[in-house]
Amino acid sequence: MATHPDIFFLTADMGINLVEKFADTYPDRFLNVGIAEQNLVGISAGLANMGYRPFAYTISNFAVHRCFEQIRNEIGIHDYPIVLMGTSTGYDNAPLGPTHHIVDDWGSIKAIPEIDIYCPSSLAYAETLVDRLIEIGRPSYVRIPKGGFKTPSSTDHFVVSPGEKSEIALVSYGTPAQECLAAQEKDRSLSVIVINRLRPLEEEKILDVLARYKRIFVIEDHFPSSGLYGSLCEILVKHRRTFQIHSLGPRDYTLEVGTSNDFFHRKYEIDSESILQAARS
Amino acid sequence: MQTEQSSSQLQTSSIKVDPVSVRLTILDMLYKGKASHLGSNMSAVEMLIAMFGSVDVTGIRDGTPDRSRIVVSKGHCAAATYATMFHFGIIPAELISTYHTNGSILAGHVSHAVLGVEHSTGALGHGIGVAVGCAVGLRSRGYNKSLVLTLLGDGEIQEGSVWEALMFAVHRKLSNFVALIDNNGISSITNTEKVIDMRPLTSRFAGFGLEVREVDGHDVGEIKAAIRELSGGSGPAVIVCNTIKGKGVRFAEGSAIWHYRSLSDELYAEARTSVLSGSKSTS
Repeated sequence: MATHPDIFFLTADMGINLVEKFADTYPDRFLNVGIAEQNLVGISAGLANMGYRPFAYTISNFAVHRCFEQIRNEIGIHDYPIVLMGTSTGYDNAPLGPTHHIVDDWGSIKAIPEIDIYCPSSLAYAETLVDRLIEIGRPSYVRIPKGGFKTPSSTDHFVVSPGEKSEIALVSYGTPAQECLAAQEKDRSLSVIVINRLRPLEEEKILDVLARYKRIFVIEDHFPSSGLYGSLCEILVKHRRTFQIHSLGPRDYTLEVGTSNDFFHRKYEIDSESILQAARS
Repeated sequence: MQTEQSSSQLQTSSIKVDPVSVRLTILDMLYKGKASHLGSNMSAVEMLIAMFGSVDVTGIRDGTPDRSRIVVSKGHCAAATYATMFHFGIIPAELISTYHTNGSILAGHVSHAVLGVEHSTGALGHGIGVAVGCAVGLRSRGYNKSLVLTLLGDGEIQEGSVWEALMFAVHRKLSNFVALIDNNGISSITNTEKVIDMRPLTSRFAGFGLEVREVDGHDVGEIKAAIRELSGGSGPAVIVCNTIKGKGVRFAEGSAIWHYRSLSDELYAEARTSVLSGSKSTS
């Protein structure tokens, strides 16, 4: 915000011990719009009309679903360079129940063609993302997973942690990417491909990498049909490529309580042990 | 197509635009485009004239950064908006004549593809939030002489997002923001009081902390005076404009069905006669 005078930061009353610094340092370019996500997007669009570059922040489920028509109309139709930032992904908020399980956020956004989608899975990528977003000035959704990540440090849109063999590739993003890396620690033959930018995908580059492997597993904490599995299947068909591709991820909402995301990762078989079993089957 | 005024002639807010001329242009647009929403377009004519007449339309036409913003939140009064903009010299006659036809940029809801339209609307309760964002932005940029005027329907205010925007505008004391309510008493399929009775509207808005005025929504002078009086006050304001849905077209006045119908040859002729005779009786 110091170097970009047009950045405006907005929150829908979320981000305790996080957003205060923005408010204190840049009071003229900070807004807490209250618990009003429709207004969060509406005001962002008004600020974009005024030439500002709004970054609008709240929890992913509220940021996407509560104001979906505002995202479609105000951001999508107007092609405004608004960055919607949703924190928490998948089962980050595990015990809070299904309203807070974020398994259908970016798949919903994917239905709106204009909006780019990111899920930074390393600090290195996240740190460069704001500058990139400012530079390219496009409508964007950033899905922000919680936790300390061991993803290979890279500013590339996807990064490969190669295994010792070219048999199986685990393709993932966000929190489940850490499960894949944990699986790789137990079985060094596995390769892991972590995707930082979910749309647009670098189609040719990704297909070239995938072609090195006999079997591909897509592992995600999001409904696969509208998630990465769906995106990869689409580009495979588009480029007339045939791969053996499998999907691991949630298929439905659940009322079951789990105290941490481990519980749901095991339930939907996206934990490191289940991934290893699937890879060995 | 009636083109009473040259499109190249730049109008300013000091030039008077005649509601009858705007209504005749709307009738032409709706008839040629076989378009609906006659009722909502006719009720908002004087409000739109007052809104555009209260700001520097040159800035709107040229898109200057410090221009006042007019956000039409009830996007279905596109014909009235475009007709008014045409009579203010913001958009040309050749564009107006394409309304609601293949390949045109003039859809049945206002579109930002049209120079001078700030925001595409059509889903209700959206424009007002954007308008509030513009008000914050104008203030933040230091454009303190500019206003944000937004037009809403009385049915539209049933949308919760309207009240999100108003609460925020009050909290931030956005004195450069004025919302005008087209209080024609009819929403989509029936009378608003039968759906959700919010009368008296003025108390609802006052209860939210807004400055409120109630005016005759078919009196341009009264609406303009209210805008003048309220803008630059201590906070945001709402003007409840009491209007008649379908105003000027007698067979459509006060009738919900004219939200949907389009004009036949006979009814188009009858509507023109009605608008012109209304003009004679009030002049």
